[in-house]
This record gives sequence, C-alpha cells and structure tokens, in this order.
Amino acid sequence: MTKKRTAGLLLAILVVAGCGKSVDPRAESFARLPDWRGVWIEERGFHNGISGIPDFFGKTRPFLDPEGPWTDSGRERLAPLLASFGTRKAQGWGYPMMMLSPAPLQFLVTPDETLIVNIYQEVRHIYTDGREHPSEQDRWATTWGDSIGHWEGDTLVIDTLAVREPSKFFQAGPPFSEQARYSERLRLTAPGRIEGQITVEDPQTLTKSWTYKIAYLRTPNIDRLVQDTFDNDRSEVENGAFIIAPAKP
Amino acid sequence: MRLLLRLRSALVCLVLLSAVSTASAHHSPAMFDMSRRVLLKGNVREFQWTNPHSYIQLLVRDEAGNETEWNLEMAAPNYLYNNGWRPGTLKNGDNVVVTIAPLKSGADGGLVVEVTMADGRKLGNASK
Repeated sequence: MTKKRTAGLLLAILVVAGCGKSVDPRAESFARLPDWRGVWIEERGFHNGISGIPDFFGKTRPFLDPEGPWTDSGRERLAPLLASFGTRKAQGWGYPMMMLSPAPLQFLVTPDETLIVNIYQEVRHIYTDGREHPSEQDRWATTWGDSIGHWEGDTLVIDTLAVREPSKFFQAGPPFSEQARYSERLRLTAPGRIEGQITVEDPQTLTKSWTYKIAYLRTPNIDRLVQDTFDNDRSEVENGAFIIAPAKP
Repeated sequence: MRLLLRLRSALVCLVLLSAVSTASAHHSPAMFDMSRRVLLKGNVREFQWTNPHSYIQLLVRDEAGNETEWNLEMAAPNYLYNNGWRPGTLKNGDNVVVTIAPLKSGADGGLVVEVTMADGRKLGNASK
C-alpha cells in the first residue's frame, strides 16, 4: 500500500468516526442557556457608597408604600411594622427582599434549576425541569418560599409561593400573607444588565397585583461572593433606639 | 447640645446638609442624624472588617489634649469591597478625616460617609 493510499484510508476512517459521534444532549441543553455569570447588584442599591445606606427607591421602600394597593387587613398589618421599624434588626433579606436589595447576588443557571445566591448564604432554588410546586399538604411557608420556573426564550419566568411573611425576617419587608403569590421575569437585556420585574398577588393584603421593576448590574469590582456570619453585631437597642455598642476589647 | 459643645472644642466642624435616605439594611438608620455631617480628625485605633457592619474606632483629640474614642459604623465588607476597600485599607495609627452622620443620641459615634487620608487622598466610594 502506498503512503498516499494509507493516508486516504486513515482520513476516511476519521470522517466516518466523526459523523457517527453523537452530540451530548446535556451539553446542548447547557449551550442554550443565557450567560449570567458574575456578581450582580440591584441597580438602585449599586451606588450605596461606604455608608451602606441605600437610596434605591426614593423615599419609600419597595412594597412598603402606604399609598400602595393595601386592603384594610394589609393596612392593619403595615402600621405596627412601620412603628417598630426603628428597633428591629434584620436576620437577612429573605424573599422577595433579597431580589430588591443591594446585597450582591449570583445566578447559577443550569437546565434543571437556577440557583440565586446572595452574600448572606441565602439561596433560592428555581426548578426549571418541569416539576410542579408541592401539593398544599406537602409544603409549608418558609422565608424563601417554593419556586418553579421555565424559560420563555431567554426570559426566566419564576412562580413563587409559600413565602413566610417577609417582615418577620427583614424588618423592612412587606407584610404580605403566606397566601401571596409572586411572579418574576428576568432577562439579560444588555451585556452586564439583567432586567425584570416582581409582581405580587395577595388577596389578603392587596386589592390588586403590585409590580416592581428591577434591574441588576454585573459589578466589575467583585469577582466572587465572600460569605460570613454576623460575628460582630454591635447594634443594640437602648431606650427605644439603636446604639453602637462599644468595641469588644 | 452636649455633642455640639464637645465638637466645638475638638478638631471638628459641623456641616448641615439636606436630608438623605430613609433606608438601611441590617437595621434602620433612624439612630443617625442623616441631615447633618460632622468632620472628625483623628487616628485609627482599629478597623473592624466585620459583618453585619464594619467599624472604624477613631481616637479624636480635643484642644485640651483629651482623647476620645468614636464608634463609627460602615457598610458590611462586601459593600466596602465593591467601593474599592480592602481589609487593609485602614491601618492602626492612620491619620484620617472622617465625615459622619452623627448619632442622634449625642454619643461619640456615627455613620461613615467619607474617609480622607492625611495626604488628602479620598478612600473609595467607587460605586458612587
């Protein structure tokens, strides 16, 4: 066999082998997902500065506007919450506040679920594998609720329920009931920018649905989430107001 | 009033500014007078890079030579990091000028708004 014929035979074998190679469907399903890598901060909290004081919704906090579409029951729940606001501390953000806060977030997008993680070890599991919410008998209210989702093109659509009253975890969370249902839409609209909205329906506290627009900016200043505990909480209440406790020796 | 007298005798000046935000994260900012700004010049005794807040322990000396330690609250480390700060940004003994929103109670403390090193270099508010 000449060298030329041998080379031709080898080439033919390689071509046949290549044609027979199947594409991994798992890899294909990953390839269809949008690229949401990086660390993100909600736009209105991005520019907080070193004080940590967000000014992200003007003079009213999200879903706490007294002029919002509250039912009588909703207003009754809102009043004591606002009255105690100055002497209660957050345990974290909880849902929906972690999506409206300046706390950096990471989106881990996979075909089966999207994980949303913030710097306070708070994690949302958004199942996108077609499963339904657990039945009423099999679920209970939690701080982050139960979420399922699906992709409409490049938009992640999330349905969340069974959320414990948000104000219990975060002092400035809204007083929605555990019957509230939350709908979110998130989409990468430009490099480094995810836009979306959260809509809440809660017949117990709201006369109609209530929607907040949101946008996240990919921050170039943080390359990873660094988790830590509250190991130096010096905020103490004294005579009905917070003080800064002395530094530990 | 007690605070005003103390500040007058120390290396401090008061600046009145308009009200700012209504919001905070770990706790309400109602404890701080966000309508006022106080400039403190002193030396860093300790920089606490901690959750849920970071703190600067600042030693401020008045004209009579009496030294007072101020408790100055800042955002949590991740927020500072986003503004260009690092755990070693301030070192013990650093001479700084700190702009704060003072505690309404009159105690020696407040919320850090801006930090300037002795050489005039402003420390990051990169996200601003």
